[in-house]
Amino acid sequence: MPVIEIEHLKYKYPNTKRLALDDISLTIEKGEFIGIVGRNGAGKSTLSQAMIGLVPQFYKGAYGGKVIVDGVLADTCPVEEMCEKVGLIFQNPFNQLSGATETVYGEVAFGLQNLGIPADEMHKRVEKVLKQLDIWQYKDRNPFNLSGGQMQRVAIASVLVMQPGIIILDEPTSQLDPEGTEEVFRVVDQLTEAGFTIIMIEQKLEKIAKYCDRIILMNDGKMVDFDTPEKIFSMDDLTGIGVEPPVYTTFCREHDLKRQDGTYPVNLEDTLSIVRNSGKKILLEEKKTEIRKVAPQDVFRVEDLEFSYNHDVHIFEKLNLFLDGRSTAIIGQNGAGKTTLVRLLKGLLKPQSGRIWFGEDDISGKTVAMLADKVGYVFQNPDDQIFKYKVIDEVMYGPLNIGMSEKEARDRSMKALELMGLKGKEQMNPYDLELNERKMTAIASVVAMDTDVLILDEPTIAQDYPGRELIGGMIRELSSEGKLVIAILHDMDFVEKHFERVIVMAHGKILADSTALQVFAQDDVLREARLQKPYITELRQCLG
Amino acid sequence: MSDFSLYVNKGTWLNKMHPYTKLLYILAAICIPVIGGKLWLFPVMILCSICLLACGRTLRRALPLVAFSFTLIIVIFLIQGLFNHANETILFSIGILTFYKEGLLYATRIGLNILNMLLSFAVFVLTTSPMELVDELEKSGFSPKFGYIINSVFQIIPQMMKSKDTIMDAQRSRGMETEGKLWVRVKALFPMISPVVMSSLVNTRERAIALEVRGFGRKNKKTFLYERPKHKGDRAIGVFLVLMIIAVTVWRIVSCL
Repeated sequence: MPVIEIEHLKYKYPNTKRLALDDISLTIEKGEFIGIVGRNGAGKSTLSQAMIGLVPQFYKGAYGGKVIVDGVLADTCPVEEMCEKVGLIFQNPFNQLSGATETVYGEVAFGLQNLGIPADEMHKRVEKVLKQLDIWQYKDRNPFNLSGGQMQRVAIASVLVMQPGIIILDEPTSQLDPEGTEEVFRVVDQLTEAGFTIIMIEQKLEKIAKYCDRIILMNDGKMVDFDTPEKIFSMDDLTGIGVEPPVYTTFCREHDLKRQDGTYPVNLEDTLSIVRNSGKKILLEEKKTEIRKVAPQDVFRVEDLEFSYNHDVHIFEKLNLFLDGRSTAIIGQNGAGKTTLVRLLKGLLKPQSGRIWFGEDDISGKTVAMLADKVGYVFQNPDDQIFKYKVIDEVMYGPLNIGMSEKEARDRSMKALELMGLKGKEQMNPYDLELNERKMTAIASVVAMDTDVLILDEPTIAQDYPGRELIGGMIRELSSEGKLVIAILHDMDFVEKHFERVIVMAHGKILADSTALQVFAQDDVLREARLQKPYITELRQCLG
Repeated sequence: MSDFSLYVNKGTWLNKMHPYTKLLYILAAICIPVIGGKLWLFPVMILCSICLLACGRTLRRALPLVAFSFTLIIVIFLIQGLFNHANETILFSIGILTFYKEGLLYATRIGLNILNMLLSFAVFVLTTSPMELVDELEKSGFSPKFGYIINSVFQIIPQMMKSKDTIMDAQRSRGMETEGKLWVRVKALFPMISPVVMSSLVNTRERAIALEVRGFGRKNKKTFLYERPKHKGDRAIGVFLVLMIIAVTVWRIVSCL
């Protein structure tokens, strides 16, 4: 029995010309796990928000067609009524907290209070859901003081407690570290088994392929196809519409390993089974990490570094590290000390003891402004820096600050914008851009400063496949120009693909420091740092 | 509770009292000396508040508030003691400064009044959870939207203030000078304020959606997670405070006749 029926849905946001949803028709059965994939701007979030009635009730705009959810028309049923049928969880866990309660327990009960549920029933439901999501132990904590993964679980609990039959998750793991991502997927797995209808938008396609019954593939507001993961990811030229198939599918396509129905497998188990059945001995070649001849002098030399935010908790004790010209990824869980380390390199923090050498200079006593033309730093959230009303002005702000002439600043800014795929958007207001494009603007604004070192904090957040490829290309180009690129990352496949050197951190210590190949071969290190291997590495190791 | 609130739950009987009883105490503490008209009533009420703060184990937290009020009180003593229009009787002199009895008496009354108000408010603020107060107000018929605004001040604004430091670092990283002459500092303001405001607006839109999908706009009557257990002292103390106000009023009227 269909729980969601969509007929010829068309939708256009106010003050836009393009249809965000263009003639979508589909039905979703009760208990199905549906994935929605596509490049940024394809209409995935808009479609999911139409299922709860936020489109058009909250966003307004031009709307046509029908969305029937559990027998109710979504465009006319008030969202505050619809929330009993459909729950929505989105990317940023912080913004999903109501801000009206001081404990996790109260936060989860917030929706029930609004529904007018009696107190006894509320206590029963809240206790059940907190235990179900394994966050009972945080019930008296302030939700704002939890980690991203814990906060996202509180958000899921807050929706689940209202007992909707359908749960929509809009990229719920995009801002989480690997452990937080696992926490969320574990919960979603439980919900599927409990019979909820799940609709999930996700860029981590290996994950979504593993869990989904069917996938909606979208491009430019249109539904390209709606089928099983195997059929969707076996389609030709997916990369042309901004979707990179799971590594297993790509591998099997390259070796012409098909399932009986003619599709390619989408998960590890299927892939290994087909390889075994084929009787062929197939090995996945190791990616050759290009070891470039680096300058004899280290770019950064950290000697006996000690740092703590307060006297009780030491972040670093006698940390020693050399950074040469190789592009370097720093990986580890939240709280490992990654961001603190790069902030020290940038001069935003000062060591309590020890020294940091940048070439021949001891930068321990230098100000951020003194290092601005040498070390560039792109913050995680682009909204922390954007303040100009034109993209070009925003990108030129840094170069002009460090003393470049107007002409040089403009030339470098145009080049940086082209590198980040923003050519043609120079005159746009950055706030009119999507989050992924604002992130590119922020990167371009630092790249344009032409610094010797570029530090990136989580550059791939909110990026789709084309976006990740652009960032990868930028890293390669800057490295080839002799610049040092350092990035903090949670996307292990991106690390494996684009970096020459990988540093694994945990508890303020460096656990491993080598090429991606060697680092990801150290199971004990990954376990201690609570990290997962890239999918491609896992496949390679399973193939022997 | 967030850094924005002064409340700390010490588990004392004052924490368990109904917020309305404590509001009634503020009213009584202010009215009794003012209606009574006797200067000695101020120290009596101040002493009462100090005793309550001690019972609530929050006396130490009230000290910064008292210290702040003393700055104001000293200024009042100086101005009134030296320049009050009714000054006639010289009380003492320090160098060229001559203090008068009339002005100092007037300043004493104002100073005691300030201290009394401050301490009675401290009893309320330091022992009452803002969330609990909002819940009780909503139960009494206040709009949940009004309650949400009060609660969010204590939860969301401290989070916004934390983001200010990150924004400043992001701009300094792009060569923005924050130190130096006044003009340099003024110029640094815009790159600071704009991201704070804009990211707040973006967050507000997302939070509005989060509230919608959790039924915040529903018309039905809201329920509450906790029924406040009736404190046996609430009624008795409430009646006592009202009687005291009435008694002082009657006493004042009688003494004026």
